[in-house]
Amino acid sequence: MAQPRVLVIGGGLAGLSATMRLAELGASVDLVSLVPVKRSHSVCAQGGINSVNALTRQQGDNEWKHFDDTVYGGDFLQHQPPVKEMADWGPRIVDLMDRLGVPFNRTPEGFRDQRRFGGTLFKRTAFAGATTGQQLLYSLDEQVRRWEVEGKVKKWEFWDFLEPVLDDAGRCRGAICQDLVTMQFRAFPADAVIIATGGCGLLYGRSTMSMVCTGSAVSRAYRAGAWYGNGEFIQVHPTAIPGADKLRLMSESARGEGGRVWVPKTPHDPRDPRDIPEVERSYFLEERYPKYGNLVPRDIATREIFDICTTEGLSVEKDRLCVYLDLTHVPRETLDRKLGGILEIYEKFQGVDPRVVPMKIFPAVHYSMGGLWVDYEKSSTGGLVEGSPRNQQTNIPGLYAVGECDYQYHGANRLGANSLLSCIFSGLFCAPGVIAGVDARGKKAADESSRLFESGLRREEERHQSLLARTAGDENPYDLHQQLGNLMTRVATVVRRNEQLVAAYAEVCSLEERWRRCAVSDSGNWTNQNVVFTKSLGDMFPLAKLVLKGALQRDECRGAHYKPDFAMPGLHATDLVEKRREAEQWCDRFEANTRRWLKSTVAKCGVGGEPEITYEDVDTSLMSPRPRLYGLVGGEMIEEVWKERQKLAGVSGDGQEKQPAYAGSAS
Amino acid sequence: MIKAVEAAEHNAGMKSQTVADHDGNGHSAAAARVVRVRVLRQDAPGEESYWERFEIPYVANMNVISILQQVAAQAKSRDGRRVAPVAWDCNCLEEVCGSCTMLINGRTRMACSALVDKLLEESADEIELRPMSKFPVVRDLVVDRGRLFRSLERVKAWVPVDDSYDHGPGPRIAPELQEDAYPLSTCISCGCCLEACPQFTKIEAVRREDESAEDFESRRKSAFDSGFVGAHAISQAMLFNGHPTGKMIADERLEALTAQGGIQMCGNAQNCVAVCPKSIPLTRSIARAGRAATVWAIRKIFDR
Amino acid sequence: MTANDPSPSFLARHQFLIYRLFSLAGLVPVGAFLVVHLLTNASVLAGPGTFQSRVDMIHSLGPLLVPIEWAFIFLPMLFHAVVGFVIIANGMPNVGSYAYVGNVRYTLQRATGMIAFVFIIWHITQLHWLGTPFGGGRFDPHHATSSAAITLRPLLVSLLYAVGVLSTVFHFSNGLWTLGITWGIWTSPAAMRRANWISIAIGVLLGGAGLGALGGMRSVDVEQARAIENRMDDVKRMLEGGQSPLDGHQPQSRSPEVRTTKPHTAPVVPTSGPASPTPPGA
Repeated sequence: MAQPRVLVIGGGLAGLSATMRLAELGASVDLVSLVPVKRSHSVCAQGGINSVNALTRQQGDNEWKHFDDTVYGGDFLQHQPPVKEMADWGPRIVDLMDRLGVPFNRTPEGFRDQRRFGGTLFKRTAFAGATTGQQLLYSLDEQVRRWEVEGKVKKWEFWDFLEPVLDDAGRCRGAICQDLVTMQFRAFPADAVIIATGGCGLLYGRSTMSMVCTGSAVSRAYRAGAWYGNGEFIQVHPTAIPGADKLRLMSESARGEGGRVWVPKTPHDPRDPRDIPEVERSYFLEERYPKYGNLVPRDIATREIFDICTTEGLSVEKDRLCVYLDLTHVPRETLDRKLGGILEIYEKFQGVDPRVVPMKIFPAVHYSMGGLWVDYEKSSTGGLVEGSPRNQQTNIPGLYAVGECDYQYHGANRLGANSLLSCIFSGLFCAPGVIAGVDARGKKAADESSRLFESGLRREEERHQSLLARTAGDENPYDLHQQLGNLMTRVATVVRRNEQLVAAYAEVCSLEERWRRCAVSDSGNWTNQNVVFTKSLGDMFPLAKLVLKGALQRDECRGAHYKPDFAMPGLHATDLVEKRREAEQWCDRFEANTRRWLKSTVAKCGVGGEPEITYEDVDTSLMSPRPRLYGLVGGEMIEEVWKERQKLAGVSGDGQEKQPAYAGSAS
Repeated sequence: MIKAVEAAEHNAGMKSQTVADHDGNGHSAAAARVVRVRVLRQDAPGEESYWERFEIPYVANMNVISILQQVAAQAKSRDGRRVAPVAWDCNCLEEVCGSCTMLINGRTRMACSALVDKLLEESADEIELRPMSKFPVVRDLVVDRGRLFRSLERVKAWVPVDDSYDHGPGPRIAPELQEDAYPLSTCISCGCCLEACPQFTKIEAVRREDESAEDFESRRKSAFDSGFVGAHAISQAMLFNGHPTGKMIADERLEALTAQGGIQMCGNAQNCVAVCPKSIPLTRSIARAGRAATVWAIRKIFDR
Repeated sequence: MTANDPSPSFLARHQFLIYRLFSLAGLVPVGAFLVVHLLTNASVLAGPGTFQSRVDMIHSLGPLLVPIEWAFIFLPMLFHAVVGFVIIANGMPNVGSYAYVGNVRYTLQRATGMIAFVFIIWHITQLHWLGTPFGGGRFDPHHATSSAAITLRPLLVSLLYAVGVLSTVFHFSNGLWTLGITWGIWTSPAAMRRANWISIAIGVLLGGAGLGALGGMRSVDVEQARAIENRMDDVKRMLEGGQSPLDGHQPQSRSPEVRTTKPHTAPVVPTSGPASPTPPGA
C-alpha cells in the first residue's frame, strides 16, 4: 500500500513537530512555508515551556494542577479534554525536547532547571536562556532536516498556501500553493492537509508578531468553509517597545526587578524624563494598586497603561502612545547581572541605554487564543483518544489545524509558557490520527481526478492575474494595512466598547471595499512581494470582521476580552451584612453570565465573506467554572459565598472534584 | 545625513508622505527631514544590477526595515518615477529569525537591528543597501541562501535520536557544558559569517533548459558540497559533537569537516566572529574543530 | 566543480591532508630552517669568524648537503608555495569592507607570502650556487661573510633584503599563530590572545635577527673578514689533509672572486655593483 502523503502548511513548532512525527510514522510529507522553516515566528518566544516535573511533583504538583491552572487562566473557555491531555503530555514533551538537544538551563547537578511563571505556584517552566522558542524550534528543524536527507520530507520554502482543494464530498484532497520566487502555481494532492501557520497579529498592523503572521492561510481555509473559533480573544502584552516597524517584547522581569511605570503629569511633557521632578510624575500603577504596585497582573497592567494614554491623554509622546518604564534607580551592577539580556535588546533597537534613560513602553498585541475550530475525541478518562482522526481536525474532513492557529488550548487568555507546549503537543499528537484518517478513507489523493486541482489552479491564477492587472487603482495596500491596523488596535485590543465595534465593523467593510480598488506597484511575475502582500491584506478583512463581530456580540468580560460596560465590579459595602448580600448578588450574576456566555464563539464564513456567528457549549466536564477574583475588591467575601454554594451543589468549589488519582510519576 | 530639506523642495510625490499622515510613528518636528537611500537592485538572476535612489521621511528610531517598508509604500524613486517596491527578506524584526541580512553601508548585518541614526553617523549623505555578495541574487536584496542550510546537512547538525517517543529525559548535562553549548545554539543562520569570510566564495548554479528539477537540485547540491562549508556549520558540528547523544556520530561530522570544502578552507581571518550579530564564539568552534580534526586524522591513520 | 564530475580530483579528495601538510611544512621544515638560517646569519654580529664557523659546520655535511637541501628546504618550500598560491587564488580578500585586525593579518599573510616567494627566489639565485647559471651564486662558503657582504653592499639590495626578510618573518610568525588555530592548539579567544603575544615575540626576535644579520653584513670590514676566512680555511685544510697552507687553495668554490683572483693576498674586487672597493663602514 502506498504511503500516505501529507501536506503541512507552516514550519513553526507545531508544523515541524507534526512533520517529524508523520515522517516517523511512514508518511511522505510536503512542508510548505513562507520562509525557511528555521525562520518561523516560534523563534521569538523567550520565556519557556511548562510541564510538571520531578521537582514540582514532590512539592505537590501534578498534571491535574497544570490543567487547572491552564483552564483557570483561560477563564474556562477551553474544552477541557484536550487541555487535560496536553498537561498530561507536558513532561513527555519536555523530556523529548531535552533528548533532541535543546540546551535547557541546568542545575549544578545537571538536571533541567525550572523557573516560575505567571499563573501558577510551581516552578514548572523549563527554559533555555532567554530564547527558549528559538531553541525548541531549532531542535525540531534539525530533526526535520534529518528526515529531509532521508527523503521522507520535502520542504517548499518561500511558498504560499492559497487554498485547500476539496472534493465533491467536501473532503480536503490537497491544496494549491504558489512559489514566491517564480510565482508559479502548483497543486499539492495530499491525503491530509495540516495548517500550522500561527497567529494573525498583522491584523493589528504592528504587534509582537513576525511579518509572516498575517493570518492569510487561516483566512483562506476559513473562506473555503473551515470554522473559526474564539476569534475575539487576542492577548495583549503590557510591556512592549514601540517601534516604527514592530513592537518588541519587554519581559515582565523588568518590573520584577524593580522597574517603575510612570507618566509625566503634564501631557507630552517635552523635558528629558530625568529632569522631571518626582512630584510631577504619576506612578499610576503604584497609586492605584498600592498592594501590588508595578507587579499587578498582566491584564490589569495592560488596561491601566492603555487607559492612561488614551482616556486620560497622558502619553509621554504626542504622536505615539507610550509610558515610561524606569529602571534608572536600580544599581547598574544589579541590572547587568539580572536583566542584561533584555536591556541589551532595548539598547540595540532603541539606541538608548535603559540603565541611564527610562524606557518607553506600551502594550502590544501578542497572541491569538482563537483560531481554526478543531475537533477532538474524548477518552473515557477525560483526555483524548490517541490516534483518533478527529483530533485537531477542522470541520472539513482531511483538513487539520495545529499550533497557535487552532482555538483549542488557551480559552480566553493564555498562560505564559503554555504556548510552546500547546504547539508541540498539538503537532505531535495529531500525527497518528491524521494517518488513521487517511487509512479509514481508503481512497488516496493520488487517485483523485486532476479536475479538482485544475480548477483550483485556474481559480488562483485568475485571482493572481486580476491583482497584477490592478495597476491603475487609487489605493495603496500598505497605507490600507496601516489604517486597518490602527483601527483594530484602537477598538479590539485592551478595552472594547460596542459603539466603537459597530463603527469599526463598518469601517473594515469600507477598507475592504477600498482594497478592491488598490493598485499594485509591481506588475511583474518574479519575486513579486507587492502582489503577495496585497493578496494577504485582502485575506485580513474576513478575519478582522470575525474578530470585531465576535467581540461585539460577546457582552461580558472574559480573559482578554474586556468590556467596561459589562464588567462585574467588586463589592462596595462596608457593612458586613450588606457586603454579604452584594456577594450573593455577585455570585448570582456570575452564574447567570456563565450560563449565557461560557460558550466558544464559532464563526463561519457566510455570503460575501460576512461572518455568521454561532456558539458552542464548552466541555467543562472535568472542572466546573469558578470566578477569577484576583485583585477584586471584596474578593474574599465572594469566594466564601461561592464555596458555600458549591458545597451545597456537592462539589468542592476549587475545581478538584474530578481529579483522577495520579501516580507519583508521569502517566 | 538627515537633510533639513524644506518641504517646498520635496517633489510632488514626497509631499503626501509627511510623518503626520503616516500615523504618528515619530515626531512632527521631523517632518521636514528625509533619509536618502541608495539600493543596488537586480530584477532577476542573470540580469544587470543597477542603483536606484530613494528619499523617505525621517522617523525617530528608524531602522533599515522601516526604510524599506516606506520605500515599498511609496513605490517612487527619488526623482519621482513610479518604481516597483524593493524586494527584501524579513520576518521577526528582532534579530532572531536571521532573514534580513544585507550589506548596509558596505558591511553585512541585519536590517532590523541597523538603526538609521547610527548609519547616518557612518555615511552622512546616503545609506547604501546591497544584497549579500556571496549568495545568488534572487531579486533586489533577496538572495538564495540554500547553500547555508545545505551545509547543515553536510555536517549532520542534529542529535541522532532513535525516535520521538517517550524514553524519559535526555542525558544529564553539566551547567558548564550547557553554558558552552548555548551560545552556539543561538546561531540564526543569517549568513553574516559567510558573507564576511574571504574564504567563502559565491557558488551560483543555473538550471539548464534541458534539466529536470531533480537533476538540477542534485547538481546544485554537489556544487555546494565542493565549496567551503562555512563557519556557521563548523560551529554547529562542534555543538553537536559536544552533546552526549550528538557525539555518537561525531566521526561522521569530522568526516564531513575534513572532506572537500571542510575546515581546512578556513583562512583564520576571523571576520566571522567580528560580524556575527549574536556574538557566537565562532573562532573557538573553528579551533576546536581543528583540534578534533587533527586527533581524528591521526586516529584514522593509526587506529585502523 | 559540477555534478557532471562524478569523481572529484585527487586534490579535491585529499584537500584536508594537503592543506594540513601545507600548514605543517610552513612550520617544519621550512619555518624551522628560516629560524636556523636567520640565527646563523645573525652570528655575523659576533664577527666574521663566528659566522664562518657556523657556515663551515653546515658545509661539513659535504656531499650530503645537496640532497638534504632539496629534501628539507627546497621541495617543502616549493610545496608550501604552490599550495599557498592555490589558497590565495581561491580567497577573496575584503579588508576594504572589513578592516578588522584579523582580516588585515589575513591579507598581510597572503601579501607577505607572495613577497617572500619572490624574495626567496631572488635570494637563492643571487647567493646559492644554483643561481650560478643566471649570473648569481655569489656566496662562497669559504668566504661566507665577505662574499655575502659584498653582495649586500648596494643600498637598494639591502633595502629589498630588509623588506624580504621582514615579510618572511611576518609570514612565519603570523603563520605560527594561525597554525595553532588550524591544528587546534589554542582554541579559546584568551588562549589565542596569549599565543598571539608569543608569536609577536617570536616575530620581533626573528625580525631583529634578520635585520641584525643584514646590518652586520653591511658593517663588516671585507678585507679583515677575508683575512680571517682565509686563515680559517688554511687551518681547516691543514687539519683535513695535513697540507701546508702554502699549497694553495682548492678551487672548489664557485665564487667568482675566488676564481678570478689569487687566494690569500689578492685584493677583493666585486664583479658587479658599485665599483668602489671601499669596505662598508670605512
